[in-house]
Amino acid sequence: MGEFIQQVAIGLATGSIYALLALAIVLIYRSTEVVNFAQGEMAMLGTFIAWSFLNQFGYWQAFILGIIAAALLGGALERVLLRPVEEGPVLNPVILTIGLFTVLNSVALWLYGGDPKPFPAAPPFRGGPLEVGSVVISRANVGVFCTAVVLMVILYVLFNYTKIGLAMRGTALNRTAARLVGIRAGQMLTLGWALSAGVGAIAGMLAAPVVALSTNMMFAVILFAFAGAVLGGLTSPMGAILGGLMLGVIQNLAATYNPTSSPIDLPVAFLVIIAVLMIRPTGLLGKRAVRKV
Amino acid sequence: MTRTLLRPRTLGLVLLGLLILGFPYFNTMFEFMSGWPVLGWLLDPFRVFQAMRFGVWLIVLMGLNLLTGYNGQISLGYAAFVAVGAYVAAILMTQYGVHVIPAVVAAGAFTGVVGFLVGAPALRLSGPYLAIATLALVIALPQVLKHDLVSDWTHASQGINFYEQGTPPVTPGVLEDRVATNQWLYYCAIVPAVIMTVLAWNITRSRMGRAFLAVRDTELGAEHMGVNVALYKMTAFGISSFYAGIGGALFVFTEAVLGPSTFDVMMSITMLVMIVLGGLASILGSIFAAAIMALRVDIVDKVVNLIPRGEEFRIDSLRGAIYGSLLVISVIAGPWGLAGGLRRLPRIRDRLVAGKFRFLGVSGMVYTAVRPFLLRRLRGAKSADPSRQGGTEARDEPHQEGGDTHRR
Repeated sequence: MGEFIQQVAIGLATGSIYALLALAIVLIYRSTEVVNFAQGEMAMLGTFIAWSFLNQFGYWQAFILGIIAAALLGGALERVLLRPVEEGPVLNPVILTIGLFTVLNSVALWLYGGDPKPFPAAPPFRGGPLEVGSVVISRANVGVFCTAVVLMVILYVLFNYTKIGLAMRGTALNRTAARLVGIRAGQMLTLGWALSAGVGAIAGMLAAPVVALSTNMMFAVILFAFAGAVLGGLTSPMGAILGGLMLGVIQNLAATYNPTSSPIDLPVAFLVIIAVLMIRPTGLLGKRAVRKV
Repeated sequence: MTRTLLRPRTLGLVLLGLLILGFPYFNTMFEFMSGWPVLGWLLDPFRVFQAMRFGVWLIVLMGLNLLTGYNGQISLGYAAFVAVGAYVAAILMTQYGVHVIPAVVAAGAFTGVVGFLVGAPALRLSGPYLAIATLALVIALPQVLKHDLVSDWTHASQGINFYEQGTPPVTPGVLEDRVATNQWLYYCAIVPAVIMTVLAWNITRSRMGRAFLAVRDTELGAEHMGVNVALYKMTAFGISSFYAGIGGALFVFTEAVLGPSTFDVMMSITMLVMIVLGGLASILGSIFAAAIMALRVDIVDKVVNLIPRGEEFRIDSLRGAIYGSLLVISVIAGPWGLAGGLRRLPRIRDRLVAGKFRFLGVSGMVYTAVRPFLLRRLRGAKSADPSRQGGTEARDEPHQEGGDTHRR
């Protein structure tokens, strides 16, 4: 039993990285209905920017600067590149983000080189692993997990109890109607992207001590973040966290308790996703999209 | 008989057929042209190999276009079906000594059935949910292929080396001294490609093709017109997988080694990108898509060479950035893909002259810069052609939304 709990804890640790990035994906999807393939690379670039500030500033200053830089980048990308393709066929924004993915990755490689860089954990989460009963877990992972939960609460409050949140939800629901009641829909979309890029950068900076900061640090993570977001429901921030965590746990348990002789964690994890989608086609907590005909 | 042959359409098709059939011989036949600008490029012997890859990609991308372009189901797992086709064909040929033609057909049929069955659970999903669920197939695939239960057939991570383990696809005895191996391989790819193109042409212009489009445009509407939505969605999955299977089987010849990671997520994503660039829901679009796919490394090379290189400016590490920017620019500049752009050309010209285009962002800046020049050219062309003057905008405007087959 102790072994089982330990494995669940490790799964939660991996899952919380997926969850944070999934949260960023959901933020963009909610406001613009674009599945952003460049999300991981935006997070990676934000982390690299924070890393380059680490030499001159303390950890927290660099952390904040990284978030701001990523948010500016995200907002600018939406305003300059995404806006023109919004009116065309639905697949075009997706293709555009795939193009961005390649561009950002290559630019980061050009600017910072291919070797992994050391990135410190946030000060409260440094030091040796925590021991709770028989379960051992690293402090950096606890940090990612706590941040994911805190961010989710903040976003929940932002979306449900503030005027800006209401305006963003309105824009996502019906852009024309939002414009008619005086919401600047364009600004809300830019804000959505900036917010999401900021959350992504936090994900990147917290994941960097765990997975090592390099230009391809997000390659594997982003796919699982997508899967987690879809599992939880692309419209629900809470679902994103839940989906990401579940995916991490399932993957880890499937790797530990594997009756066959070769690894099967990926097929098992994805069978679970497909099974869940069969029962709930819009994810665990996603709202069913109601279409007017 | 002679009259039928002389019809422009028939004549064009016959010429095209001759071009395709004779292509591998042109470099020896027209050797004197090899210094010429465009023709010289086409006559490079390497183009025969590239044309073979083009043929394979054409089959594969045509299938994806049937599913995503015509039926509106976005699949990121298409590479998994290509992999199934490739593995079935390779295993049949290397381990059971099956002849090439039955092996390719069997691979297509098997993959088609698998696709039809996978289409059943996909019925409930749409949009990004379907895309990610199918993505799951392609992520899980390497571990499935490497699993001990199937490793006797798939050779786990070593993969299957067709040219070592199987009979190399040499020219059959009768033709041996007339057709070289690379020319024979070209025909192996291009003949199925032509057959599959004609098939796709007929499918999309039949009752089934119209049903696909109706389901894509409005599921509810299609259902009310008596279209069996579930059946046609599954059929679209089945047919596109059949194409993936045939294309995958032919991959065995173009890729020397077949491994679990040959068909990865990136390949799935790239295929989707290519059909959007070529043109969704269009046969010509698939042809463009396959051409871009086969030539994309060349295209990026050409662009890289345009940029002056210095010690400090490591241009080669920016290849990805150049490829990505080309994607971004083409999506912004030509949202309907190459084929859609061609179809729209007359209308685009009219709107350019009338100044009705709204360009945003980067394309807007470029447009503002080139507009005066463009207008001078177009106005000149227009006054020389009085039949086009007046009324064109008024006639075109109402078609703007309704006539747009790509918008969903």
